[in-house]
Amino acid sequence: MFFKRPQQDSPGAKGGADVSSVAARPQPLLATELRRVVDPAKLGFKTTDELDPITGLIGQERALKAIQFGTSIKSHDFNIFVLGPPASGKTTAVRSHLHPKAATSPTPPDWAYVYNFDNPNVPKALQLPPGRARTLAKGMLASLDELRVVLPAVFEGEDYQVRRRAIDEQFRSGQDGAFETLNAKAQAQNIALLRTPTGFTMAPMHEGKVVKPEVFAALPEGMRKDIEVKIEGLQKELQAILERVPKADKSRRAQLSELNEEVAKHAVREALDDLAAAFADVNEAIDFLEAAGRDLIRNVGLFLASAEDDNAIVKQPLDVARDARFRRYQVNVMVSSDNGPNSGAPVIEELNPTYGNVIGRVEHLAQMGTLITDFLLIKPGALHRANGGYLLLDARKLLLSPFAWESLKRCIKAREVRIEQPTEVSGLISTQSLSPEPIPLDVRVVLFGDRELYYLLAAHDPDFLRLFKVQADFDDTISRSGENDQAYARLIASIVKQHSLKPVDAAGVARLMDEGSRLADDREKLSIEIGRIADIVREADYWSDQAKRKVTSKQDMARAIEEQTQRADRLRDRAQEVIKRGVVLVDTEGVQVGQVNGLSVQQLGSFSFGRPSRITARTRLGSGRVTDIEREAKLGGPLHTKGVMILWGFLAGRYALDMPLALAATLVFEQSYGGVDGDSASSAELYALLSALAEVPIRQSLAVTGSVNQWGEVQAIGGVNEKIEGFFDVCRARGLSDKHGVLIPRSNVQHLMLREDVVEAVRHGQFSVYPVASIDEGLEILTGVKSGERGDDGRYPAGTLNRLVEDKLRSFAERSRNFSKAGVGAAEDGKAPT
Amino acid sequence: MIAHVASSGEDSGRVVLQLGSRTPSVVALDAAIRIAQAFQSEIESVFVENQQLLDCTSFGFVREVSLTGRWLKTVSREEMASGLRFAANNARRQVEKLARQADVPLRCRVVRDDPLRAISVACAETGPWNVVVLAEPLLPGDGVFLKQLMLEIEGATGLGVVGPKAERCSGPAIIVVEDTAELPGMLMTAERVAALDSGAIVLLLMATREDQLAQMEGEARLVVGGREDVRIATAEIDRGEAGVMAETLRRLRGGFVIGAYGGLLVPEDGDLRPLLAALECPLFLVR
Repeated sequence: MFFKRPQQDSPGAKGGADVSSVAARPQPLLATELRRVVDPAKLGFKTTDELDPITGLIGQERALKAIQFGTSIKSHDFNIFVLGPPASGKTTAVRSHLHPKAATSPTPPDWAYVYNFDNPNVPKALQLPPGRARTLAKGMLASLDELRVVLPAVFEGEDYQVRRRAIDEQFRSGQDGAFETLNAKAQAQNIALLRTPTGFTMAPMHEGKVVKPEVFAALPEGMRKDIEVKIEGLQKELQAILERVPKADKSRRAQLSELNEEVAKHAVREALDDLAAAFADVNEAIDFLEAAGRDLIRNVGLFLASAEDDNAIVKQPLDVARDARFRRYQVNVMVSSDNGPNSGAPVIEELNPTYGNVIGRVEHLAQMGTLITDFLLIKPGALHRANGGYLLLDARKLLLSPFAWESLKRCIKAREVRIEQPTEVSGLISTQSLSPEPIPLDVRVVLFGDRELYYLLAAHDPDFLRLFKVQADFDDTISRSGENDQAYARLIASIVKQHSLKPVDAAGVARLMDEGSRLADDREKLSIEIGRIADIVREADYWSDQAKRKVTSKQDMARAIEEQTQRADRLRDRAQEVIKRGVVLVDTEGVQVGQVNGLSVQQLGSFSFGRPSRITARTRLGSGRVTDIEREAKLGGPLHTKGVMILWGFLAGRYALDMPLALAATLVFEQSYGGVDGDSASSAELYALLSALAEVPIRQSLAVTGSVNQWGEVQAIGGVNEKIEGFFDVCRARGLSDKHGVLIPRSNVQHLMLREDVVEAVRHGQFSVYPVASIDEGLEILTGVKSGERGDDGRYPAGTLNRLVEDKLRSFAERSRNFSKAGVGAAEDGKAPT
Repeated sequence: MIAHVASSGEDSGRVVLQLGSRTPSVVALDAAIRIAQAFQSEIESVFVENQQLLDCTSFGFVREVSLTGRWLKTVSREEMASGLRFAANNARRQVEKLARQADVPLRCRVVRDDPLRAISVACAETGPWNVVVLAEPLLPGDGVFLKQLMLEIEGATGLGVVGPKAERCSGPAIIVVEDTAELPGMLMTAERVAALDSGAIVLLLMATREDQLAQMEGEARLVVGGREDVRIATAEIDRGEAGVMAETLRRLRGGFVIGAYGGLLVPEDGDLRPLLAALECPLFLVR
C-alpha cells in the first residue's frame, strides 16, 4: 500500500490512507489492568481502632540495620549518614531507636569551665562525675555568700583591728616621732618648719613668726651664718626623714598584707571546707578549690569593698552570682546530667546547626563601648551536650552554616571540642580572647539528608566517607504483599493515634493504600513517605468532621486527595485551557503526516501533571543528519539529545545497511518555549520521523510516550499515569470518543494507577491505553498500516510501512549519488548543493 | 553654750572654710558642706597664701625639701607664689564642685596673710554667727594653733576640724557631754547635723567619776525624754586617759563628733595625739 502525501509542504494536511481498515494491531488494556484496587473486605478489620499501631517503620530493614550497627560500633569515625526522601520518617525512626538505647548506656561525665588562676586566657575544663557539676557550682556560690558575710565581720572584729592599728601606729609613730623631734629641735633653735604646696621649707623664726628678710639682713654676719648652718643641717635631717617614709610604708603594707592573709586564710578555709570534703574524690575539683582558696586569700579586699555598701541608704542583699568581683570563683557548668548519675547517654537534636550552636561559643558583653568576655560567657554547643551520646543534625542546614561543617569534622577527627571564635577559625582577625581548654569528645553524629547530598559529599569531600562510614539508606516505597498491606494499615493506625484522629474505616485505608501506590508511581509498591500520608489522613479527618462522621471514610480520603490536587492544579488547568482554546495546537482527531502527540510531565513542588505536546518531523535529501531543533535552540537537555541521537542509530541500523543515509530531518516540540529533557518522547519523535519518511499519516486521537533504543524497542518511562491523564483530560474536554487513547511502553503497565475517571472511561470504551513493546507495534496502531518484517529477500513486503521508509531512504541515496556523478556535491543540511 | 551658724541671706555669719597650701581633706570639705546644709548657710572659702612662705624665699640659703625627700632646691618668690596660686585654684575647683552638688551657696577668696589673722579677719567681716572649718587635717603638733583659734577668734560659734585618719561623715552624731547644762544647745546642733544622715544621735557622757556620770545620765535622760533616736553611752575617764576616750569614740563609729573645747575631750594644753589617732570623722568644737 502506497501513501502519497497530498501536499508535501503541509504536514497539517489530512493524509490519504484509511487507517481504520487495518486489522491485527496490539489490543488495548482492560479497565481492570489500569489500576490496582485494594479490597477493603480483605483487610480484615472494620476500623483502625482494631489495629495495633506500629512502632517504628515498615520496610526499612536495611536502614534500621545500618543504624543499629552505627550506634553500636565503638569507633569515632563510624558516624551515620541517614539518607532518604524528605518526610520518610527517618528522624522519627532514628530517634525511636536511639532513645531506648541511650537510656541504658552509661551516663557521661559532667563538664564545667572554671577560671584558670595561672593563665586567665585559658579557662580550665573540669571533668566531674555525672550530676555533680551543678553541686560544685552551687557550693561555690554558697561559699562566696558565706565569705561575703564572714570576711567583713572578721576584718571588722576587734582582734584584727587591734593588730592593724598596732601596725599603723608603729609606722605612724615612727614617722610622726621623727618629724616632731625635728620640729621641736628646729623650734628650739628658732627655726620655723613650714609646709609649702609641694614640700617643706625652713626659715629663721622669732616669737613664732618667720623673721622678715630685712630684719634678718640687719643681724650680725656671724649670727646669720650660724642660722644658715643650722637650717642646712635641719634640711638634711628632714630630707632623710622623708626619704625613709616610702620604705617604712612599704614595710607597713607588707605587714598589713601578711596580717590580712592570716586573718582571711582561716575564714576562707572554713568556707570551702565542706565543699572540699564533698569533692574529695575528684582531684581536679580539689585542685580548683585550692587555687580558688589561695586567690580568695590574696584578694580578700574584694569582700571588704562590698562591706562598704552597708552604708548605702537603701540596702539591698548582694547577689554574689551577679557581682563582677566574684565571677572568677564561680563555676560555668557546660553540661550536667541533671537527672542523676543513671540518666543514660544524651540524644541531642540541634535544629539550627550554626557554628556556635554546634561547637559552642564565647559570648561578649558590651561595656563602656568595648566588648569584654570571661570564662562564664563560654556557652556550650550541641557537641558538649551530646558528648558521651548521640548528636542528630540536618546535613543541609549544617552545610549552609558558615564554618559549621568544617568545625564539626575537625572535632570528630581530633576527638575533642575546641571552642574558637569564628574569626579565628577563618584566620581573618586575631584578637586576644579566651582559648578554653578543649574537652575530650566521644559522640556519635547522625546526619540526615537526601541522597543527592550524600553522593555530592561522597564525591567532593574526602573527609566525608572517612568520618561517616555508616550509610543508612531509607527507601521511599515498599512492595505490595499481604503482609505489607497489613503493616501499612497499622502504620495508618499509628498516624491516627499519634495525631489523636478519628479511626479510619477499612475502605478509607484501602483508598489510602491506592493513593500510596499512586504516590509510589507503581502499583506493585506502596509509598512510605510518612509525612505525606499523614497529611492526607489528617486532612481526611478534617473532612470527616465537616461531614459529621465518627469514622474517617473512603469518601473523606478521596475528598482529601482531591482537595490537595485542586489546591495545586492551577497551572494544570491553565495548560488544559490553552489547549482547549486552540492557543496551544494539539489535534485530538483526524490524521497527519509527520505529526504525533507526545506527552510530558511537569513537576511543581509535590504536584505533577501531564500535558500533550505536538511533535513534528520533516525530511528531505541530505547528508544524513537528524536535526533536533530543541538542541539547536539550546532548549533540549542532554537526555533528550541522547534520545534523538538514538533515532539516528535506529534509522541507520534498520534501513541503511547497504546505502548511505542521505537524509536530512528536523524534529521539534511545537510551541515549547521552556527546556525539554528526558528521553520519554524519543518513541514519539521516531513515529513522527517515520511517518514523514513513509508519508503515512498518524492518528491524532492518540498520544504516545516511551523511550526507544537502537533496536526499536520501546522502553519504560516515568510519570506514566500523569501523562495518560494529561491527554485524557484534553480529550475529555473536547469530547471523548472510542478513538482516543495513549500508547505506553509495555513495561510501564505495572506502574499504572490511573485515576478512577480514566478507568471508568476505558471501561465504557471511550478511551484506550495501548501497551507497546516495539516501534513496529506502535506504528501499526498509530497509522493503521502494517509495519512489516524483512522477507527472505532481505526486503520488507511491499506496502508495509517499513518498506515505504526504506524506499524513501533508498531514493534519497540514489538522488544523492546522481548529484555526485553530475559533479555536484551532496546536499549539505540547510545549504544549497554546490 | 550653743553652736549657731547664720542662715544664708541673714548676713550675720556663714561657714568659713579655711584652705591652705596643704592638700585639703575630703572629709573636712564634706563636713563644711554638711554644716552649711544643716544650717542652710553659705560657705565662704578663704585660701590663705601664707605670707611667711613668701618671706622664706628671700633667704638664699633656704631650700624646699620635697614631700618624698628626693630633692632639695631653692625656690624663688615667683615660684612659691605660683605654687600657692595653683594650690588655691585646685582647692577652689574642688570646693566649687562639692558645693554645686550639694546646692550650697559658695563664695571664694584668696588672701595673702598669716593663717590665724586671715580667719580672724574673715570672721570679723561678717558675724557673729560663723563656724570655721579647717580644710587641712589637724596634726598632733597643732595644739597651739587650735588654742589660738578657739581663744582669739571672735565672731565664730564653733570650729570644725578633722584628723589625719578622717574617713567618713556619715553615721550617728555623737555629742560628747561633759556638762549637762550645755546639752540642750548641743543637742539642737546634733539634730541639725544628724538630720542629713540617719538621724541617730548618741550622747556620750564623759566624766572623771562614777557618781558624776550617774548624775549626768539622770539629767541627760530628763532632757532626752523618751526619744528613740537618741542613745546614751557613758565613759568614765580620768584626766590623762585620753587613749581610752579616743577608743570609745572610735567604737561608736560616729559621723560627727560634737564637743566642747577645753574639757576632757580637747584639753586646752593637752596632747592632741590620742584623739587624732582615733578620730575617723569630723570634730565640731563649740565654745
